[in-house]
Amino acid sequence: MVSPLVLLGTPLGMAFLLGMLQNRWRFASYGITLLTMTCMSLFSADWVLGFASGSLVATDFSTAGAPPPFAISLRMSLTEASLILLVNLAGLFSTLYLKEELLRIGRRGMAVLLIDIMALCGIILTRDIFNLFVFFELVVISTGGLVLLSDDQRAPSAGFKYLIVSQLISVLLLIGIIFAYHSTGTLNIDGMAAASLGLLKGGALAFFLILIAVISELKPFPANGWALDIYESAHPAFSAIFSAAASSAALFAVAKLLPMGGESWLPVVSSIGLVSFLAANLFALCQENDRRLLGYSSIAQTGLVLVVIGQQDILGERYLFIAGGILLAHAVAKAGLYWLSGLLSNRHLTAWTVLRQSPLLLFAFISFIALLVGLPPFPGFYAKWELVHLLAQEGRLAILGLVLLGALVEAGYLFRWFGKVVKRSDGGEEAAVFSVAPIKTLVVFAAVAGGWSLGYLWGQLSLFDNILHTIPVLFALGFLLLERFPVWLKNSLAIVGLVSYYLISYPAYDPMQLIFGTVILIGGGVILLASYSVSGRRMGFYPSAMLMFAGLSLLIEAKDSFHFFVAWELLTIGSYFLILRGKQSEPHALSYLVFSLGGAFLILAGFALAAEGVELFPLSSLSQVTADKAPWVFILLAVGFMTKTASVGLHIWLPGAHAEAETDVSPMVSGILLKAGLYGLVVLLLGMGKQQLYGVELTHVMLWIGALSALLGNLMAVFQEDAKRLLAYSSIGQMGYALFGLALMNHLGWLMALMFVINHYIYKSMLFLSVGGVAKRTGTRLMYQMGGLITLMPLSFIAVLIGIIAVSGVPPLSGFGGRWIFYNAILTAEYRLPIILIFLAGPIAFLYLFRLIHTLFLGQLKDEHRQIKEAPFWLIVPQMIFVACLMAFALVPGVALRRFDLYLNQFFPQGGLNWEGVSITSQFGYWSPVSIMVVVMVIFASLLGWLIFVNRKAQKVKQFNMVFAAERPYRPETTHFAWNFFAPYKKALGFLIQPLATRFWGMVMDLLHTSADLTRRFYTGNGQTYAIHLLAFVVVVYLFSMGSL
Amino acid sequence: MVLIVMSTGFLLILMGLYGSLTNRNILRMIVSFTVTNTGVNLVLISVGYMPGRTAPILDETVAVSEVAQRIIDPVPQALVLTAIVIGVGVTALMLAYAYRLYETKGTLDISQFTELKW
Repeated sequence: MVSPLVLLGTPLGMAFLLGMLQNRWRFASYGITLLTMTCMSLFSADWVLGFASGSLVATDFSTAGAPPPFAISLRMSLTEASLILLVNLAGLFSTLYLKEELLRIGRRGMAVLLIDIMALCGIILTRDIFNLFVFFELVVISTGGLVLLSDDQRAPSAGFKYLIVSQLISVLLLIGIIFAYHSTGTLNIDGMAAASLGLLKGGALAFFLILIAVISELKPFPANGWALDIYESAHPAFSAIFSAAASSAALFAVAKLLPMGGESWLPVVSSIGLVSFLAANLFALCQENDRRLLGYSSIAQTGLVLVVIGQQDILGERYLFIAGGILLAHAVAKAGLYWLSGLLSNRHLTAWTVLRQSPLLLFAFISFIALLVGLPPFPGFYAKWELVHLLAQEGRLAILGLVLLGALVEAGYLFRWFGKVVKRSDGGEEAAVFSVAPIKTLVVFAAVAGGWSLGYLWGQLSLFDNILHTIPVLFALGFLLLERFPVWLKNSLAIVGLVSYYLISYPAYDPMQLIFGTVILIGGGVILLASYSVSGRRMGFYPSAMLMFAGLSLLIEAKDSFHFFVAWELLTIGSYFLILRGKQSEPHALSYLVFSLGGAFLILAGFALAAEGVELFPLSSLSQVTADKAPWVFILLAVGFMTKTASVGLHIWLPGAHAEAETDVSPMVSGILLKAGLYGLVVLLLGMGKQQLYGVELTHVMLWIGALSALLGNLMAVFQEDAKRLLAYSSIGQMGYALFGLALMNHLGWLMALMFVINHYIYKSMLFLSVGGVAKRTGTRLMYQMGGLITLMPLSFIAVLIGIIAVSGVPPLSGFGGRWIFYNAILTAEYRLPIILIFLAGPIAFLYLFRLIHTLFLGQLKDEHRQIKEAPFWLIVPQMIFVACLMAFALVPGVALRRFDLYLNQFFPQGGLNWEGVSITSQFGYWSPVSIMVVVMVIFASLLGWLIFVNRKAQKVKQFNMVFAAERPYRPETTHFAWNFFAPYKKALGFLIQPLATRFWGMVMDLLHTSADLTRRFYTGNGQTYAIHLLAFVVVVYLFSMGSL
Repeated sequence: MVLIVMSTGFLLILMGLYGSLTNRNILRMIVSFTVTNTGVNLVLISVGYMPGRTAPILDETVAVSEVAQRIIDPVPQALVLTAIVIGVGVTALMLAYAYRLYETKGTLDISQFTELKW
């Protein structure tokens, strides 16, 4: 092991050596710098390994041969070692990245860089408060120098603003230090902590000055205008150091100083962090400049770590795991993003669209974003999970809520950026230039590798399983390596993967899991057949789709809340990428993601509340949640799941997301993904049953939500012009039925809900595929632009016909079975009004279904559609399979339902069905699928025969056998009967479907954006204003802390 | 005596801060900051001063046995020395910046350098 003194001395000595070299020995100087950085990184890595293997213990190293307080001492432990490794690696890679600039400027620039890194290490290592001050000042001076590396003309003004602020900070720090010394007689941090500085006369003020000075180095809101300006204008390689290394060092300094003041200062630190986290994330919403946005995000993340530092009193031994997870993930991601930004010539967010030219860089970009947001399998995910649980356990719910709120806003703007990068046009002639610099690219990939390794490491360190060890996830990630291969190969592999995973796992499933598992895995495989119709490589599709299926299959297998939540996040992310692939789907994918993550955070909060400190909380323990918390847990989880089932009010993401998705993606996200929400509700209701809050039966509320979703979803579907949107809205209605069934909390209600799971999967997938096929052939999804396709696309017509018969619930298909069970179920329920609503929803479904088949396939064929052919073969294949399934399920529903009916007996012993013989009997009547089928077929055949008989002499009229009036309508579609098909109904019922929810959520977003845009203007850009902000910040925090101490 | 020095120090700090926040000219701001620094150094010295004691130099006038009672604490003075050196460094850097800023815009008015904002 290299002594920490040498760690500090080496770069210092080398910096002096550089000063003595000749100017023209540029490469030699650069070589020395690089070598020093490499050695430093290796030395620190050696320390980290030593501590990690347990062969070393934390040690204090005294300098000048005397122990403190007579001399400065340095401490080395795992934390210090990891942080200096981080700092040195940031320095090393930035040195590589800065090769051109450093060679141009020469040895002086390199010396300053070395000093900067050395000083940051010093901040981390030293245990002496004045030494800390010296290192901070060295950072200030070297930062002042390194800011000038940028060729941005505005950088000097940013650097000067920083110097102004740092003067103020050093005044505060010095005065604080001298009074602290006066009170305690030592400069050693541990000595001051032992003398409990915060309790001495005048000591509290001295400690406050020191603390606030060091916190100011963290760029807390609002005293951070200068930092944003630096982030925006400095060289990205320096911003990487500034964000990743400098912030980490300063954070560690805060953590180191806190014991001097005592625990009473922790809330102050938490509050500062929380305010920074929220404000910076809010302001970032309005940013168009990439580096400034990253700057805001850095400040936010630093604030979050500050919150964790402030909560250390409850985090116990998980403190380092949590703080380190967030800090390291942020550092790696932010350094990577800054390095990435250096490859692009243009500073606008949309300029990043050029990344699309390189799939690897795009992968880097999304990895960094996932790291920042804290998605599985990255460290932030594990850290956030534990943080939220500990906060909930200790009842610090306000902090918990605000942290999740800030995280949601952050995810919102980061993924909005990702959406722009993936979907926006690249700007034509003003397109950003994309520089191919091998070294710089390599540096970016080093960060990617670092991020994924951290994810693996944190998985190993976590109290739970490593997400990267689960087979489905590995299977999904494996497709990243197969991106070069053609679709047919990857598709076959994906189908084989899904089916074999099903074959392996299904013996262990209970009937409930079996139904969901079949729909997900086998159902997914059938839908994937449609993907054979796509040619080429289809980059990005298979990793996303398989990630979604991995999440879904893990979800139904999850036994405890952690695995459940991991699966939930995985399926959300995978499906987000899938939905984003649609041509026009950028805004819809974003709203899907924001709603889903919002829901996920509610679920997280719910689980955390329920767990009450249990490490691995089994889902079956949901029934044992204490009575005072149970209704709240129920609400949080239920609302979280209902964002996925798109219950009314939370539904606005669904129509766009499902309609704009690709042809084979729509059935996946509609037919399969929506079931995840239902599965969640099933788990929740099985676990918690009926809950009451202030006397209100919560399942009754759900009943109402289900009924309203069914009614309004169907009603909205009626008035759509876009065929896929119509189907999407119909899903809202269908999920409303299922929710209603579950909320009935009786045997038949559940049976019906499960029947909906199967039915809805089959017919909605089928309809989306056939309508998608039609849209593909006709080039439009607007129903009034189609018509008369029955002769050209007969198979699609048959699929739609069968589909709508099934959806509408008329005999003989399985939809009728669903209705029959449903009517039996509500006969036993005691609620009348929601039942009336749900009855009303039925006929409304007829309206849109009739419109769908009528305007697409019947009526007049459009001139431009005369040449079109049947939908592609591979789109038809799954549809025909679905037709066969529907027929089979209609004839023998017992195959799937009987076992499940028996299974339900253990939860709802009353009111099961009798499956004896061919007919199924309930207490109210019987249903005989086979005889119904026979009766309907006979009626159908005789009517058809009669029709053919009477029409045998009918004269065929050609399509254009008619006379036009001499009028040319202004909007041609208004003359088509299919346009505004149900105008009279709209007049009568339109008031019911005012887009209230859309308006409400739009207003929330507007409010956020407007307030962010207004308040960020107080960063006037004037260095003196920034100084006043800092002083005001100090005064406010002082008053606040004096009030709270 | 100590009180006078200390109040002078704080007065200088406040004057310096006032000057640096009210003067728009960058050079005047830098001068104000040096005034502030002087004030800080005075405060440091005044806090470390112990009345009636001698300089912390160990020679024949101070016996080693009574060092702890006779000399003042040398640490604050060492701190002041360091602080002065650092102050000089930062001031030099600020002046260099002032030069650079003047080169880019031909003005030393801090309120003219606000392109970076929001």
